[in-house]
Amino acid sequence: MNVAETRDSGAIVGRARAGDAEAWGDLYREYAPAIFRFCRRALPTREDAEDATMEIFMKIRDKLDQYDATRPFSSWLYKVAANHCWDMLRRRKIRQDKETDDLETLPLEHPDPNQLDQLIEKRTSEEVRKALDKLGSRARMALVLRYYSDMSYDEIADSLGVRRAFVGVVLLRARHELRQALEGTGAMAAGGAR
Amino acid sequence: MSSMSSPPNDHEREAQEHLDEMTCMLYLERQLERTRALGVSAHTQSCDACRTLLRAIERESRLLTRAMLEEEEPLPARIAAFQERVHRSMQWIWMVVFGLAATAVYAMYTGYIEPWEQRLETAGLGGTNLVSLLIFQSAFWKGWQSMISLVELLALLTAAGLAMMFLRRRIRRGAALALVLTGFCAAFAVPPPAAATEVRKGQTAEIRKDESIQGNVFLSGEHVEVEGDVDGDVYAAGKDIEIDGHVTGDVISAGRTVWIRGQVDGNVRSVGNTVNVIGKVGKNMTYFGDTIRIDEKGAVGGSIIMFGSDVNIEGRLGHDVLFMGDRVIVNGTVGGSIDEKGANLAIGSKAQIDGPVRFEGENEPAVSSGAKLASPVRFTKHVHKKEEFGQTSAFWACVLAAAFVVYGMMLFLLMPGFAKEATHSAENIGASLGLGLLVFFGVLIGAVLAMITMIGLFAGFSTLFVWIIAVYAAQPVVGALLGQWILGRTNETWPLIGRMILGIVLIRVATLLPLGWVIKLGVIFWGLGAISLAVYRRFQPPAPVQAPYVSPSAPLTPLTPAGGAAAV
Repeated sequence: MNVAETRDSGAIVGRARAGDAEAWGDLYREYAPAIFRFCRRALPTREDAEDATMEIFMKIRDKLDQYDATRPFSSWLYKVAANHCWDMLRRRKIRQDKETDDLETLPLEHPDPNQLDQLIEKRTSEEVRKALDKLGSRARMALVLRYYSDMSYDEIADSLGVRRAFVGVVLLRARHELRQALEGTGAMAAGGAR
Repeated sequence: MSSMSSPPNDHEREAQEHLDEMTCMLYLERQLERTRALGVSAHTQSCDACRTLLRAIERESRLLTRAMLEEEEPLPARIAAFQERVHRSMQWIWMVVFGLAATAVYAMYTGYIEPWEQRLETAGLGGTNLVSLLIFQSAFWKGWQSMISLVELLALLTAAGLAMMFLRRRIRRGAALALVLTGFCAAFAVPPPAAATEVRKGQTAEIRKDESIQGNVFLSGEHVEVEGDVDGDVYAAGKDIEIDGHVTGDVISAGRTVWIRGQVDGNVRSVGNTVNVIGKVGKNMTYFGDTIRIDEKGAVGGSIIMFGSDVNIEGRLGHDVLFMGDRVIVNGTVGGSIDEKGANLAIGSKAQIDGPVRFEGENEPAVSSGAKLASPVRFTKHVHKKEEFGQTSAFWACVLAAAFVVYGMMLFLLMPGFAKEATHSAENIGASLGLGLLVFFGVLIGAVLAMITMIGLFAGFSTLFVWIIAVYAAQPVVGALLGQWILGRTNETWPLIGRMILGIVLIRVATLLPLGWVIKLGVIFWGLGAISLAVYRRFQPPAPVQAPYVSPSAPLTPLTPAGGAAAV
């Protein structure tokens, strides 16, 4: 988002905070698709994503006064969305707690670069999305926060409730899970082709 | 990826010399310290395997980002329409809140006020006691019944609204709407109590001696005469109005002189020059004008409220006198008390007053020795304003400031969101002042016009009520803004209240200065305009929600992992 866009968003947010219904509508139209996609990536089902999107915007509407206008609005929005989705997953107890325990035990490896390159090259975006659906909640959430929302390691640590030093481990473990899932879909696709 | 987690032995040996995957990823994401990052960069210059690994990880990052940002499915319709629904649901909430408040008012009336009124009636005070006369018996305001009806209607609307919400979930929206509308039509179709209304105009508008009118009658002309019987209210406007017949309801009149020689069972409410009562008035008299005179043959069953020049009682008054004006002369019978704030009080030798007499005025009351009084006159000499100035005015200034603070706190705590919006709107000084000026005079004139045309009495009174609330809320709103200018902005409620208190104190101090009234008026216009702006913005229709199209290329900040191949 360039400076002009940020300034525009700031002005719209300012008007929305003052109770301007039209400005609120503008904000919603601008950000709802992105937040829906965020929820779609982070949560298991489409229905969950729809519900979460609406709940997030209800929260945003109530908390708009708390937004610090010196920071980009989208960052704050993603922060609220991340907290909401993570809380939602946590309430359902589908977080894989075992991941917390072995965060420090990830072996330091140098994988075969060519093999990795080959695996990545063959995959389409759709296959990656399908593979993402098979990941554990934290792994998926970590990847979404980093590669969709562009959150910093500090923000990810804050959202997921882990120490900052372990964010890299969480992300790398998530990549490993993703590769395993991709290998599975690849095998299935190959099997299907045969 | 099993092949990567269990590499062959020769590869393990190599791995000890190569960069591990974590280091590569952290390097690409610019999470390594500078010295370590420089080391990684130098290593990849000479190591093909590590350079390839870096590129592979970076491609993986790009693939992830692309897969996540791609818009493979449209925005669901219910999300696209959600913003509109939120707005609508807020309207429902307001309606429910307002309806519940109205129901509460009605419940309070039926639960507390009405029984109390009945007890007063039983005690012989109903309809003639000053308190009930002022508040309940419609001597001042005939719209109470209308108000109660409206409250009932609002409660009905609330119930209907809730029913509609309930039904909408179960049956089709159109059908539910039709059902509710039919219900309303049925409710409104119930015929009101029959009340014929007759209108007569002309040089002389009259009801002849042999006539008997059922229902209310409107009479206007230079000369108005009621010699016959009217079973209802008489509304009369003219130079001279004479009631010689029998009126079972009220007489509401505007004219130079009113003569009541006949019998009025209800109240007399009048504006004009003089009212002469030679006959009988069953209930109360409310008069804005020069003189009320009750002849020695005349009788008023209830009380007199008057704002004008003189009250002269030679006949019989059943209950109390509440008077603000110049002079009260009593030479007849008063069944209740006298409260006068004026210049003179004269009690003649034929006078009999059964209740206490309180007189605040400039001159000592003149009481004849032959007068029969229940108790001596309690006289308070009127003190001139110049003498009052000093500690008393400072005290009242403090009381007023405290009252505004309490009022402001109440508003800010009850409606924190709206208070912030109004304070924010006040920053637009020009627009606020302009709009405030318009609303101050426009709404006031509109409300008064509605009130004096009897049809819009409730609307006029309600508008005036809201107008008064807004006028008094103007100082807290402007005070909050002034406080923010001094102490800085805040979005928290209590800090905002603190700023409001500071601002109010400043405003009250400023109004004590010479020409302080100009400042006060300016603050009222400014605050009223800000409130109006906030109301206007709140009730603006929502922007229509378009189809859920969003450019696939610009959702939010597209990202690539920090670092990337270029950094390598």
